[in-house]
Order: sequence, then structure tokens, then C-alpha cells
Amino acid sequence: MQPYYETEGMESVILSVLLLPLLSSVVTLLFLRKNGNVASLLSVATSGGILVFSLYIIFQTGDTVFAWEMTWLKLAGWELKFGFLIDGAARLLLFVVSFIGFLIHIFSLGYMHDDKAKPRYFGGLSIFMFSMLGITLADNLIMIFVFWELVGFSSYLLIAHYFSTDEAAQASKKAFIVNRVGDFGFLIGIVLTYWTFQTVNLQEIRNLVDFDPSLVTTTLCLALACGFIGKSAQFPLHVWLPDAMAGPTPVSALIHAATMVAAGIYLLFRIDFMFTVDALSLLATLGATMGLFAGFCALGQRDIKKILAYSTLSQLGYMSAAFGLGMPGIALFHLMTHAFFKALMFLGSGSVIHACHHEQDIFNYGGLRKKMPITALTFLTGVLAISGVNFLSGYFSKDAILLGAYNSNMIVFVLLYTGALLTSLYMFRLYFLTFEGDSRSKSAKDATESSVLMTGPLLVLAFLSVVGGYHTLFPDPIVGVLLDDISRVAAMPNHLWMVVLGTLAWIIGGGTSKLFYGRAFNGEPLEARFPTLYDLCKSKLFFDEIYGFYVSKIQDPFARFIEVMELLFISGLLVRGSAGVSALFALLAKACYAGKIHAYSFWFILGIISFVAYAIGFLGN
Amino acid sequence: MLSLDQFLLLGSIVVPAFVSLLLFAGFGNTDNFAKKLAYIGFGFPFLAGIVLFFRFDEGDNGYAFEFLCSRFGLQELGIHFHLGLNGVSSPLFAMAGIVGLAAGLAAINSGADRIRLYLALISLMQAGLMGVFASVDLFFYYLFHEFALIPTFIMIGLWGGRDRRSVALEITIYLTLGALLSLAGLVALNTFVDAESFDFPSLSKALADSNLFDSTKSKIFGFLLIGFGILVALFPFHTWAVRAYDAAPTSVSMLHAGVLKKFGLYGLIQVAAPLLPESAQSWSPLLLWLALGNVLFVGMVAIAQTNLKSMVGNGSVMHMGYCFLGIGVCSSLGASSAIMLMVAHGLSVSLMFLLAHYIQRRADTMEMSEMGGLAKQTPLLACFFVAASLATIGLPGFGNFWGEFGVFLSLGQQSSTQFFLYFAALGIIISAVFGLRAVARIFFGEPSEELESVLSKKKISDLSFSEIIPAGLILFSLLLIGLWPRTISPRIDVEIESRYGALDIKVAGSDLPPCCPAKEEKKTATSPLQLKD
Amino acid sequence: MTPHYFLFLAFLLFGVGFLGVVIRRNLLIVLMSLELMLNGVNIALVTFSRVGLNLDGSLFVFFIMTVAAAEVAVGLALLVALYKKRQSIFSEDATLLRN
Repeated sequence: MQPYYETEGMESVILSVLLLPLLSSVVTLLFLRKNGNVASLLSVATSGGILVFSLYIIFQTGDTVFAWEMTWLKLAGWELKFGFLIDGAARLLLFVVSFIGFLIHIFSLGYMHDDKAKPRYFGGLSIFMFSMLGITLADNLIMIFVFWELVGFSSYLLIAHYFSTDEAAQASKKAFIVNRVGDFGFLIGIVLTYWTFQTVNLQEIRNLVDFDPSLVTTTLCLALACGFIGKSAQFPLHVWLPDAMAGPTPVSALIHAATMVAAGIYLLFRIDFMFTVDALSLLATLGATMGLFAGFCALGQRDIKKILAYSTLSQLGYMSAAFGLGMPGIALFHLMTHAFFKALMFLGSGSVIHACHHEQDIFNYGGLRKKMPITALTFLTGVLAISGVNFLSGYFSKDAILLGAYNSNMIVFVLLYTGALLTSLYMFRLYFLTFEGDSRSKSAKDATESSVLMTGPLLVLAFLSVVGGYHTLFPDPIVGVLLDDISRVAAMPNHLWMVVLGTLAWIIGGGTSKLFYGRAFNGEPLEARFPTLYDLCKSKLFFDEIYGFYVSKIQDPFARFIEVMELLFISGLLVRGSAGVSALFALLAKACYAGKIHAYSFWFILGIISFVAYAIGFLGN
Repeated sequence: MLSLDQFLLLGSIVVPAFVSLLLFAGFGNTDNFAKKLAYIGFGFPFLAGIVLFFRFDEGDNGYAFEFLCSRFGLQELGIHFHLGLNGVSSPLFAMAGIVGLAAGLAAINSGADRIRLYLALISLMQAGLMGVFASVDLFFYYLFHEFALIPTFIMIGLWGGRDRRSVALEITIYLTLGALLSLAGLVALNTFVDAESFDFPSLSKALADSNLFDSTKSKIFGFLLIGFGILVALFPFHTWAVRAYDAAPTSVSMLHAGVLKKFGLYGLIQVAAPLLPESAQSWSPLLLWLALGNVLFVGMVAIAQTNLKSMVGNGSVMHMGYCFLGIGVCSSLGASSAIMLMVAHGLSVSLMFLLAHYIQRRADTMEMSEMGGLAKQTPLLACFFVAASLATIGLPGFGNFWGEFGVFLSLGQQSSTQFFLYFAALGIIISAVFGLRAVARIFFGEPSEELESVLSKKKISDLSFSEIIPAGLILFSLLLIGLWPRTISPRIDVEIESRYGALDIKVAGSDLPPCCPAKEEKKTATSPLQLKD
Repeated sequence: MTPHYFLFLAFLLFGVGFLGVVIRRNLLIVLMSLELMLNGVNIALVTFSRVGLNLDGSLFVFFIMTVAAAEVAVGLALLVALYKKRQSIFSEDATLLRN
């Protein structure tokens, strides 16, 4: 049991970490709407402040656990607390979020320099930091849910940055709605958890589960995992992430590569004691399938950001598989290394896009290595890292996952290994097409290296991509949470065989892609050689089309059908119908008013006779 | 002599009524004078609502600022003019004041013809609304409701949009029917029980002592349920609401959907359920099914709408479904969440109607397909609209989230209602679909042809100062409740706990899942959480 | 002389008067039929007075005769006014209140 941190005032530091970005965005909203430069500087300063405070929190709490809470809402026996839980995992994610967030803020200064809506962008980034930090620091499930939805909102806001394009308008809507579907499951899971355990506090649940493991059911943990599936874009809710590339590139780097999508893995880690064996194996298989499927999709893409997006999906599948195989620490480890090299590659692509005047098709790039050497070099580092080239950061985490899979679940291993082959294939394809060869369009010819605001973060991230895997180099407070699983993996058998296989994977993938793309070619070589495979990859298994079909051919007509039913039956039959029935009675009554004297006298006499008959007792009493 | 609180409470009803009387009598010769009177008529209840909210302090029987005037009323029947606020009515009273001021400002600046008459009717409506939540006596509760309801019929008929004649006729008949049924229930309640006066505390005391048959109580509750249900647009009695909000002028929609609808729910929670707990339990399955119909059925209809005002109207009816679910569960958690949602929903739906009005003023249409790309011309309006939409669909940070979440939580308590939880939670997806679709169609993307032609004829400007004030006021209140729900939750909690004790005993004894027996000791032994407050 | 014959006569008179009121179109005839009905009742009353050997029935006959006279006066005045308005005394020409 870890010792508890005892000090005064830590909660005020944490509160300031949380509230600083919120304050910055409120100030931007109220006062700085017309003043882009001040807003951007404010936002960057805030993220710098967050970094400083986060480092303070990390190093002050050391390897202890800090918990604090206060009541946020109390209704009829349900008490919702607003609290913080700083343990190893929180420290790791806090470091990743604040550090990469800071670098991306600096990058944005350069990338968004000419943008007309800087205040909105930087305000949105601040709201995002606020929400993401809330997820990191939260100590109970409901608070996580609150910030979960807020993160979805900031993602919506930032994807819709270029709102005058149809693409961004649809993509932001799609992202929010698909996330909401995941949140639907998450919500049900939280409600069921509350009534099973009478609490939603993570530590209390952990203790209760320790005491009585039969409390958790597969349904419960899978419902909670729905949140992960939505936020981390796993099957079948993965369709929003590639579309989310409609937002500015730094947003894609921060939100859709490094942090928000990682929040799902973080959630899983926080509640890992609640998972049953069946749920875990399901997650592992799903994750591994996703890893492979996304790899194929990436192979068929031409847009540089979409390739990176599918690559993120694939790597998230790896993390999910690691979690499902019973190695949550390795999942977090991969989360950290992935954050480094994926953010690096996204920022690198941002640098390229900015230099080529927003051209995004890689077949219109080429030869950029000579024009943008720093970008090219750092990007190459990222590519090498993700492919698992030995001794870079990605190698360590991927190797651990593959080793774990090999020793427990052969199917998962095969899927993951094929995914690794594909990863190096499409990543090197991306590199060769973008940076090597000759310039294939005017915008590529005119490209120049980006400013130091953009290349600075690239260099830092490249450095981290190289050394990120050497966990011993990192301070203990940050990586302490990983040590258990790392040593477990180190003790597994077949380690050497795995190293060989891993090396083979990137060599084969890199070599094949050098074959296809390293030399001169026409059109898309893959399409030329393997047309069916290429078409299959490009189709992405028609998921987008299926969902589009569902919305336009099933959901909307069903809604219109319900509207017609309502008009027919409720408005028509019930309301107008009852009015009609009363009108019928009115018609019958109107028939008495014939306007003829004879009729009146007839009714009058009839009335008298029946009255007399009744009075005599003739018609009954 | 009246204390300040009593003066404010009484004044919040009398001042708008007096203003209305002056305007009817023809005092506002110039439109300007009429507008000035209207400012007073709406400003006073707003001030009263806010001041009394913060000065609230429970009295002996849960009521604060009590004001009892025995000479004004029908004492032989036990009816007294009894005003007061309790934990549940205090936030609703404040909400009525806020929405009233916003609606009043919208009406003053609306540029309607015969504005003197229009403002007179709306002031009368406002007086009625404040009276509804301030009344302790059931008769005056009903009376003020009718005060507030009847001007709506007139206003829709005279100043409404398309179809106004037939809509005015339809809702007159429909809502009078609902009011009639609920009146029957209230009168039955008073007749069958020998209470000394017609207000809530003495009725509950008398009911506890009486020995009515369960079937009688069940019938009375049925009348109240159906009557209030019609007034609050419970499925399948909801079709009037959408047509009415579509045809009504903005301020009327704001006040009706935002405040007046809460009358029925307030009555159910304050009167029906605590006074008749067993009947509430027996009617609960029906209520839950109908409320689910509200959420799912009306939600799907909202998705199919292309007209902005119809969509907002359908959305508001859908969210009332959540409140009904909270009531139908018959637990204190459900009821208190329903109240929180009522307060937040009143604010958010009136904000949506207000913003729809602003959009219509600029785009000359309410059809969403004829708009597009408005965020370029009106960024501030877009910001407000996105905030309002996200509030209605239950984003945390706005007050609606707490109410909705509480309702979901209360549904999960018993295994018999968990089925409803699964389907009601689908509502969050449905509302996100139509809410965000509206935002995308109106503000994002490229402008449509119709909007292009409008743009060529006139310049579309962003929100003016007089437009920002009411919208900002409501948004600020929403954010306040959302970020710090303890502004209103403690008093609701205390009030509901005291009333729902009987129901909770029945619920708690039912099939809650078993929990760890030794949980209590385990807690203290191994998790010394650092609790700080 | 049993009372049956007189009562039968009274019933006959009343019946003829009743039929006249219900069936005849000419309003003058209707008024005359009304008188017939009243006279039928008169005969019945006198018969019962004779049978019971008291003067109660006969006394009531006087009342009826007085009322009948007044009624005829009023009725004929109304008929004259109707004729002035409608130029007809047939009931089917007085149907302004028909739906």
C-alpha cells in the first residue's frame, strides 16, 4: 500500500493547475475576442504555467498517493464529490499532457500566425487543457464523466475552427455524436456502478472489489469500457477520428494523437481492477483487430493527416490489446512513447502543410528533405520510432506488447505482428513520398523550412522519441507506475526471438516501401501491382458508408415516419378525432332544432307524456 | 405591517398585475410610456426573485416569508390567500423572475403593433407566473395558473405566426381540458378529506389522518396525473405544445415553455406524490412508459424537423420527459433531480426561443435549410446559440446536466426501472443529433441561396446591446447552476427529504443489490482519505 | 247513464283536438283544435263532477273556460301579427330558426 502524501496546500496547487486554463479561456472570451496576439500569448503563458505547476505536483508527491475531495452536489443521499487523486498513473499522464501541450502551444504560435480567428483557437485550446487535466486529476467516475464530456466539447469547438467549410461542420458534429454514443454506454456503466458499490470513488471501489470480487460483472465493465471505445475511437466508433483531421493540425496533434484519445486508455488503467477475464480477452482481440484494420486503411490514404490518423487508431488498438492481455502498465508505457512520436509526426506534417500552403496530398509532395531538413530529420525519427526500430522509444513499448501477446494469446500476436509490418510499410511510404524523390508540384517546389517556433518543438519531441523508451532515464515519480509491468515483461521467455521478429518487421516493411516508393514511379504503385488489395484498403471496409447509409436511409426516414405517425394518430385520430366526436354529438343535437312549429309541438307533447308516465311509475322508478 | 420579504413577495405579484391594469386602462398613451411601465412590471419580480432567493431561510413548516391574509378569500371553504416560498418553490420563483425579465425585454424590443395591449397581457401573465410559485394555498395556486394561461390564448391568436387562429382555438380547448381535470382532482382532494384549509401542510396532515379507500386515492391521483400531464405536454397529450410554440410570439413561447409548463410538475411533486404515496406507486409504471414515449418518440420527431422553432419546441417537450421519469421513479433522488432539471430547463429553453427569434430577425426565415454560414456575420450569436444548444443537450457545466444525471441515477436504483434507464439514456444521443445538426445547418458551412439573397438586400448585424442583456442574463444563471449546483441543491434536498420520506421507505426496502456487509469497517481501516472541506 | 259514454266522448274530443294540433298545417285550425282539446277536458271534468256528486269538477271547468277565452284572444292576436309579417298562416312558412 503506497504511503499517503501529507501536506498543506497541495490541493490549492492542483486547483490552480485546473483553473488556470479555464480562467485564460474566460478572459479570452470576454475581453480578447478581437486581439489575437494577446490571446495567443496568454494561452501559451498559461500552458507554461501549467507545466511548471504540474512538475511541482509530480515531484512533490513523489511516489506517494495524494487524495482530496469536497462535496460538489448533494441530493437525497447521493453525494457527488469533486476531488483529486494523484497516483503514479496521474503523474505520468499529467507530465505527458502538460509537456506536450506546452510544446504544441508554442508550435501553434508559428502555425496559426496568419489565421484570422486566433482568439477562438487559443481559447479552445485552453478549454481543452482544462478538461483534459480534469480527467487526469479526477478521483471519481462521475467527475471523470463530467470532464469527459467537456473534452468532447472542446474537440467539437476546435474541429469546427474552419467552420465555413462543409467538411469541418460535418466532422465536428460527427465527432461529438459518435463520442456521445460511447458516453451513453459509459453513463449506464456509471449508474450501475453506483448502485452496485454505493460509491463512485475509484479508491473505494478498488477496496470493495478487493474485498468481494464477485461484485463486478462483465456487463458492468464493458459498459464502462464504452466510454473508452468512443473516446479512443475503437471499433465500432472509430469513424470520427479520420474526419476530425478537418481541424487545424496542432489540434490534431494535441487532441487526436497525444492526449484526448489517450484518455480512454487512462480510464481503463484507472478502473483495471474492475475487469473480468472475459472482458479483457474481448478488449485484447478487438484492439488487435483494430490495429490491423487501421493499418490497411492507412495504406490506402493519400492525405498526410489521414494516414497519421489511421496510424493513431492502429496504435490505440495496440494499447487496448496490451491492456486486454493483462499488462496495463505497458499500455500506459506505449501511451507515453506514442504521444511523443505521434505528436512529433503530426507537428512535422503541420510544418510541411504550412510550408506547402495547405496542400495535404502526399502525392503532391516530394523532395522536401532538401527544402526542410530539420522537419525531414525529425519526421524520420518519428517514423523510425513508430516502426519499432531497435533502441528507439517505440521499440521498447511495442516489443513489450508483442512479447506479452506471444506468451499469452497467439491470435492476438499474429494480428499485432502483421499490424507491425503494415505500420512500417505505410509509415515509410509516407516518408518516401513526402521527403524523398523530386518535387511533384509547385507548392512543394516553393517550400522552405519553417520558423524556429515550429522546428523547436519538433527537435524536442524527436529527442524524446529517441530516449523515451529508456524508462530509467526518467524521474521515478513519472514512470513509477510502469515499473511493475516492465519488470514482469522482462522476465518473460522468448525475448530474443521477439527481438529478431521485431527487427525483421521493420526491415521488411521499410524495404518494401523503399522498393515501391523510393524509386521513380507513376501513379500509385500499390494500386498498380495489387489493385484489389488497394481498393479494399481504400474502402476502409465501408464503415463510413455504412454509418452514412444508416443516418440518411434509416434514421432520418424513421424520424420522418414517426413524425407522420404522430400527425396521423395523435394529432389526427386522438385530438382531431375527439373534436370530431363532439361535433357528431353536436350534429345530432342540432337535428332537434328543425325550425318548424310542428316539430316543436310534437317534441313538447312527447316530453309531457313521458314525464307523466314516469311520474305514474309507468317507465320505472 | 409587512416585512421587507413579505412586501417583495406580495409585490412580485401585485406590481405586474397593477402595471397590466394601467396599460389596459389606456395609461400608456405613447409607446414609450408603456415600455417604461413594462420595465417596472418585469423588473420588480426579477429583483424580488433574486433577493428572496438569497434571503431564503426555512420556517417551521418549511415555508419562508409567509404572508397570510384571511379576509381575502373564501374562509368557509377553507381558502385563504396564503403566500410563501419553500425549498422547492424558491429556485422556481427566482427562475420565473429571470425568464420573465428576459421575456419582457424581448417583448419591449419586439416592435409588435398595439404594443400597449401586448405588454399588458404579458405583464398579467408574469403576475400569474409569480403567483403560481408563491402560493401555498391550492386554490390560489390554480387561480394564478389560469391568470397566466389565459392571456397566452389571446396573445397567440392576435400576435402569433402562421396558423394562429386554429392553434389558439386548439390550445384553448386542450389546456382548459387539462386544467379542468386537474381542478377536479384538487377539488376531490379537498372534499374527500376534511382539512381545515386548502393549503399543502394542512392537507397532508388531514390525509394522514383520514381513511380513504386506496381506490379513491388512486382515482384522485389519476385525475391529477392526467390533468397535469396535459398541461405539461406528457406523451401522448403533447401535440398542442409544438404547434403552440411554433405559432406563438417569442416572449409568449419563452414564458410558457420556460415557466408555465412547470406548474404541472410542481403540482405533482408538491401535492400529488407526497400526499398520495401508494397511488403514486401504482400509477408509476404508466407514468414511466409515457415519459419514455416523450423522450424517444418526441425526440425522433425533433430530428425530423426542418423548422428551427418546431425543433426547439419538440426538444423542450422531450426534456420534460426526463422530469417525468424522475417523478415516476417515486424516490427522493428522482424528485429532487427533476426539480433541478426543471429550473435549468426553464432557463435553457427560453434562451433557445429567444435566440431563435434573433436568428429569424436576421435571416427572415425559420427554415434551417434556408440558412447556413451565419457564424461569419454573427459570431456572438453563434457563440450564444452553441452554448444554449449544448446546455439543452446536457453538457456538464450547465445546470441541465445535474438534473438529467440525477434522473438517470434514480432510474438505476431498482431493477424494475433499469429497463427505462437504458432507453432514456438514448435520449442523450438523440438530443445531440438534432441539437448539433441545427448548429451546423444554421451557422456552419456555406450560406444557402436564400440567405445569399437576404444578404444582398440587407446587412446582417451581430447582437446589439439590448439583445445581449436578456440572453446573457439567462446564460449566466445557467452557468452558475451548472458550475456550482449547490446554489440551489441544498434547499431542494431538505424540502424533498421531508416530503418524500414515506415513498423512500417503500423504495429502499425493495430490491437494491446486496452490498458488502463489512464495508463500513473496511472503509475506516484501509483508506484514510484526506477529507478536506 | 254510465259515465263511460261521457268519458269516451271526452276522450274522442281530446284525441281529435290532439291530432289536429299535431297534423294540421293551418295555424287557425291548430288554434281551434286546441280549443277542442280543452273542451274535451271540460266534459270529462263535468262527468266526474256528476259521478262524484260534488261541484269540484264543475268549478274547475269555469276556470278552464276563462283561461281558454284569454288564450284564444292572445293566440289570434299573434296569428294576425304573423300574417302581417309572413303573409301566410301556414306553419311551414315560419321556419326562420331552421338550421
